[in-house]
Amino acid sequence: MPVLVSKNFGQIPFKVESVIEFPAGLPGFDERRRFVPVRMPLNDPLVFLQSLEDPALCFVTLPLLAADPGYRLCMSEEDVELIGLEAGCRPQIGREVLGLAVVAIKEKGPTANLLAPIVVNLKNRRAVQAIAPGSEYSWEHPLLAAEAPKCS
Amino acid sequence: MLVMSRHAGETILIGDEIEIVIAQIGRRRVKVGIRAPRNVPIVAKEVKLVREQNVAATVPPSAEAISSLVARLQVPLACNFPKILSSRAEE
Repeated sequence: MPVLVSKNFGQIPFKVESVIEFPAGLPGFDERRRFVPVRMPLNDPLVFLQSLEDPALCFVTLPLLAADPGYRLCMSEEDVELIGLEAGCRPQIGREVLGLAVVAIKEKGPTANLLAPIVVNLKNRRAVQAIAPGSEYSWEHPLLAAEAPKCS
Repeated sequence: MLVMSRHAGETILIGDEIEIVIAQIGRRRVKVGIRAPRNVPIVAKEVKLVREQNVAATVPPSAEAISSLVARLQVPLACNFPKILSSRAEE
């Protein structure tokens, strides 16, 4: 089994069939095309997307439906075709595609980017960070409900 | 903000070097042509936001931040993971 090197996690053996390929890269990382999704038993449901080309590049992601159980996926025609789905297809999470939201851990709390989910075609593992056209979803959706004020 | 009404095929000039053409008006979207010098970056605003968000997201979070997030996430555990998510790191 091939082994990838990750700055955060050290060496991780991975299956070639689990490699995800972004034909167009990701915004801000256009040259990074190949990633391996890594899960850690203690950190479910988080999925760590580790770059195969840059050991220091790793995204923390969360399955879309874990971030928002009612999430409605909406992709542009271009993105649908980019990952090799039939034109006009309205892909469903869990059926044709896997959807992951990029998580940013900030001082004010962790947020998930629901405006631009990572969508992976489950058949060929081609992926795109799909900016939903005219979407009302936020690029910084708070993951934790605000803490209730404590009574003193 | 300056708002101008234009028909399809009409043009707006910004300074001497930037030209915006309303190429086509559809039911829900308009196609806009932009002529600008090579050194002027042109990008949809969402792409810029997503790029900034991606860069912010790659700052490696501490192990504590990760475990506190996992502990506090209210997630239905019936979340199904497809087969391609089978690579697992040892802990």
